[in-house]
Amino acid sequence: MSSVCREVITLQLGHYSNFVGTHWWNLQDAALSYELESPPGEIQSDVVFREGQTLGGHVTYTPRLIAMDLKGSLRTLRQEGRLYDGEDTSAVTWEGGFMMHKESPPKKNSFLEDLDRLDEEILAEVDFSSNSQLQHSGKKTPSAPLPEASHQPASGAVSVETVNSRLTRVQKSYRLEGSVKVWSDFLRIHLHPRTISVIQQYNHDGEAHRLEAFGQGESLLKGALLEELEDKLHFFVEECDYLQGFQLLCDMADGFAGLGSKVTELLQDSYGGRGVLTWGVCPVSRPDSSPLKNLYHLLNCTLGVVHMAAHSSLLCPLTLRGGLGRQPRPPPEFPHLSYDPSLWYHSSAVLALALDALTVPYRLRNNSVPLWQMADSLASGGRTVAAAYGAVPFPMMHGSGLPDALSACAEALPWKPLSACPEAGGGRRYGQWVTLRGLESQGLGSSCLPAGIEPPTPLHRLCCGEDVLTAYMSSFYPSSPLALQLVATPSKVTPPFPQIFSSSLSSQGFLQSEAPPPGVPTVSVPVMASLQSGPALEPWLAELHRAASAIDVRRLAPSFLSQGPEMIDYQEALEQLHLLARRYRDDSSGVMRSSSDEEEDD
Amino acid sequence: MTAVKALNPKAEVARAQAALAVNISAARGLQDVLRSNLGPKGTMKMLVSGAGDIKLTKDGNVLLHEMQIQHPTASLIAKVATAQDDITGDGTTSNVLIIGELLKQADLYVSEGLHPRIIAEGFEAAKEKALAVLEEVKVTREMDRETLINVARTSLRTKVHTELADLLTEAVVDAVLAISKPNEPIDLYMVEIMEMKHKTDSDTQLIRGLVLDHGARHPDMKKRVEDAYILTCNVSLEYEKTEVNSGFFYKSADEREKLVAAERKFIEDRVQKIIALKKKVCPGDEKGFVVINQKGIDPFSLDALAKEGIVALRRAKRRNMERLTLACGGIAMNSVDDLTPDCLGHAGLVYEHTLGEEKYTFIEKCGNPRSVTLLVKGPNKHTLTQIKDAVRDGLRAVKNAIEDGSVVPGAGAFEVAVADGLVKHKPNVKGRAQLGVQAFADALLVIPKVLAQNSGYDPQETLLKLQMEYKESGQLVGVDLSTGEPMVAGEAGVWDNYSVKKQLLHSCTVIASNILLVDEIMRAGMSSLKDTLKHPGRWTALEQTLQHPSQHQSEVIVLLVMFCFQEFVNASLKTDWFIYEILLKALTFVTLLFLPIKGFIGFQRIWLFYF
Repeated sequence: MSSVCREVITLQLGHYSNFVGTHWWNLQDAALSYELESPPGEIQSDVVFREGQTLGGHVTYTPRLIAMDLKGSLRTLRQEGRLYDGEDTSAVTWEGGFMMHKESPPKKNSFLEDLDRLDEEILAEVDFSSNSQLQHSGKKTPSAPLPEASHQPASGAVSVETVNSRLTRVQKSYRLEGSVKVWSDFLRIHLHPRTISVIQQYNHDGEAHRLEAFGQGESLLKGALLEELEDKLHFFVEECDYLQGFQLLCDMADGFAGLGSKVTELLQDSYGGRGVLTWGVCPVSRPDSSPLKNLYHLLNCTLGVVHMAAHSSLLCPLTLRGGLGRQPRPPPEFPHLSYDPSLWYHSSAVLALALDALTVPYRLRNNSVPLWQMADSLASGGRTVAAAYGAVPFPMMHGSGLPDALSACAEALPWKPLSACPEAGGGRRYGQWVTLRGLESQGLGSSCLPAGIEPPTPLHRLCCGEDVLTAYMSSFYPSSPLALQLVATPSKVTPPFPQIFSSSLSSQGFLQSEAPPPGVPTVSVPVMASLQSGPALEPWLAELHRAASAIDVRRLAPSFLSQGPEMIDYQEALEQLHLLARRYRDDSSGVMRSSSDEEEDD
Repeated sequence: MTAVKALNPKAEVARAQAALAVNISAARGLQDVLRSNLGPKGTMKMLVSGAGDIKLTKDGNVLLHEMQIQHPTASLIAKVATAQDDITGDGTTSNVLIIGELLKQADLYVSEGLHPRIIAEGFEAAKEKALAVLEEVKVTREMDRETLINVARTSLRTKVHTELADLLTEAVVDAVLAISKPNEPIDLYMVEIMEMKHKTDSDTQLIRGLVLDHGARHPDMKKRVEDAYILTCNVSLEYEKTEVNSGFFYKSADEREKLVAAERKFIEDRVQKIIALKKKVCPGDEKGFVVINQKGIDPFSLDALAKEGIVALRRAKRRNMERLTLACGGIAMNSVDDLTPDCLGHAGLVYEHTLGEEKYTFIEKCGNPRSVTLLVKGPNKHTLTQIKDAVRDGLRAVKNAIEDGSVVPGAGAFEVAVADGLVKHKPNVKGRAQLGVQAFADALLVIPKVLAQNSGYDPQETLLKLQMEYKESGQLVGVDLSTGEPMVAGEAGVWDNYSVKKQLLHSCTVIASNILLVDEIMRAGMSSLKDTLKHPGRWTALEQTLQHPSQHQSEVIVLLVMFCFQEFVNASLKTDWFIYEILLKALTFVTLLFLPIKGFIGFQRIWLFYF
């Protein structure tokens, strides 16, 4: 069954989700190879991308994606995209008066300007060369050229330059930190016209009509919006032969948490049997914070966790915040990154890198594991919340092998929490997935050991990467179930990915003993990420429960419940959260909790 | 200086006359925007966003949704007007115009010293009378096709250009007539509106059957089937995850293969049952057989079905399942175990149409379709959206007419009649409320005036002609927009919905009265309040006030209480019980101490703000 392509449909709900998503699509686009001769990569891009055709007969390659955002959040991006524009023959057939209201176009940043320019240049080139044999494909779009190459193997492989290869070569550091306001400001791919859905009832910014409360989001999914979503889902689902499931990126802190709960419920109802993997994302800080808003965010997160965990196969929070509470710990520090946690453009980039590794198991070309199987293996016994950890980038010395790299961090695991859930040292895990990307040029390093020389550590004795990693992991978590995926290709971090890597990394993302000459940007990085379900989640969920129960919603935030949920539903949700937390209690170790703890919980 | 000001210098306060002026200017601003839209001769508006998204519309409802209204009063009016559209499907523009005009007329009297409360009373009396007039002038008759066409045309001509409106009119009326059953409420849901980016807007048509926006996913399946049986079902024909939990990580490969094979067999059995039915009902292969499944069909199953000459569509939309059985007959099956020929529907023609990457399947020539499709065509997205909006409103208008069982003359005739009735009714109203009735009568006349103005005629002159004609003939006369002369609206076939007019009278009166009665507008945000307290500069202000307690006593108290309360909230959230208790005591103390002082009123107001 490994030869068939098992499609996944992605949904992005909310502005921060779209930030993370955009970075992720950019990373994937950078890794796409449009060359005819190149062997198929380990990652099967068809899982998340689809091939299409415009009315004019041009082939396109776009993500299977539905992105939702609020009114006024698109700026320079057109809702329909530019890919499917036909020649516009719109003569207005109205004999009466006619009035035009035109908004002045927002200024594009340097990256988007370059992207437009590259687009045009390539179009011009293709038009020139297409006169010979590529009649049907006069227009070539930047994310489109792959199908053409693969469908016309006999046409002499006209090697046309793509935006992709140019962007790699440009190597220009754009420094978009100041100019990125919304996610479309650094979107390098074209989207399908059915991808974007704008929620007209609420404004992206401004004072009035904000989507702040869970109940608001919950009541959104009806009428026209529901119909629109069903139509979009239908469009992407109907063409899939072997749909394996949905992955959902959803904002947890604002009203999108409510919308996400409803959407997961809809997916569960309509496409039962498919996996629904939900990533609940949450920015470190929001531009408009106030005590009341923070209260709202906490309540939204709490309700979101409860509902989405109930309706998804698996829910994994994904955030760089130290905690979901109102006084979170400081965000984690990654030793080889220098990023600004408060900047969405930066923090979402880190999360996207981790996501690019975490989603590898169901995107592989060979031996892929279906999304539902991955989710089920972690969510046994109703434990539908998992935590993510990531080593971004994975610290590896230039020229050394995996055993060396792992034995360098024999004391502590190299990764940091990406779900605001600090690891409880050692012990049992109910399930764990570990993915390591980017062993390409390094190899294992052990095979070259001459015979007779005693290897420095036991890790060096093992001969394949999987074994090395298994041995390493089991030294931390003995007797815990574990699944591993090793992928040779690293994540390609070409522009517009922010340059957040420390100067000690080489352009391949490996550590170097001497600092490289300044001005050499990092173009790819190895990443290790892990998805875990373990007792560490119990205190995490319990803390969320405690924080939410300590609030008297009726007194402190009466308007929160004004748009639903009812008080009784809210209390029910808290009760469910409590039960969910209990499922993570590790009974096998025999550690009894003190009675005072119990009382506090109940 | 009000209490709010002391706390928050940024807070904006407007009182009495000023408040009214703010509200009225907002209402009139909105009125000015929508004014030019009214009627078949109004202006078309094209909205182009910064990124280049185009919206082409003439519909007040669409415009109000598109505009980013910042002013709270304007936003309130917009909400009411769009609610009007939600309830009745039309009348948004009229609503905004009348509210604006009511406030404008009221303003004349208020500026002469009349209390808004009295005007509101007058409005209320006028509304009662207007509703009585509405009952008088409404024409109750059997809703034959001709009347319905007149109603639909009146509504549609205000949304799209004339030729298209006439085309849509017939389609819309026939669609509703097809699905309506005597003595049952009409479910407009049974009219599917399908859009197709193809050809021009005048290719829009009514399909007596269904159009699905997907096609068969197998190259060998026929693109065109005539005289076909239709099997509607909701049965999974694809390999799915088994319900048994897949255990932990990898089982042995053998075991997995076995599991897969067993599942495969299960699905194949289902496919075989469908094939068996097909063989039973069409022995000689003269008739076609089409399977429309709500669940998925995987390539293996598609292949098996294609070999038997069956056309299979997968993942039909849930909402189309009901429509399918209504259009073609038959029963939607949830399992293949009890398949009989009785479950099958029938269609004279099923064919596929491909446009780029999109496929459409037409199911036509159904026997007696109880569900139909309006196929909207247009060269681009904004035209499609515009027609879709218009079609929806047209359908609502026809539905309203059938359900009301009566219609009201349009083209301003109704408004002229009501205004006349109100003026006659005025002496029956006691006291100064008469002025409110007069204002109401004048305000309604904005509709014929704007209709005339948008067509290029002099509004006053046209209105006078109308009123003269109405007095002389006693017939309901409206504006003939092609000549500017009075015409008998009913004879010209200009009919409006009774329910739209009724809703209009109700909602305009309520919202205009409410806005009139607002005598203070305050605006203060939570965040700015906090800044005031935290900002060191403000503390000096506080100290200064403390030195002159007599002048600003109330404000100081409020400030103190606020401060305590803020700390109290912060502390309780940290669940720091010690501080919590101390502050609770302090708060009680401060509150009790100053309770008898008049400033407590201010405190209450602030309390509300805090949340």
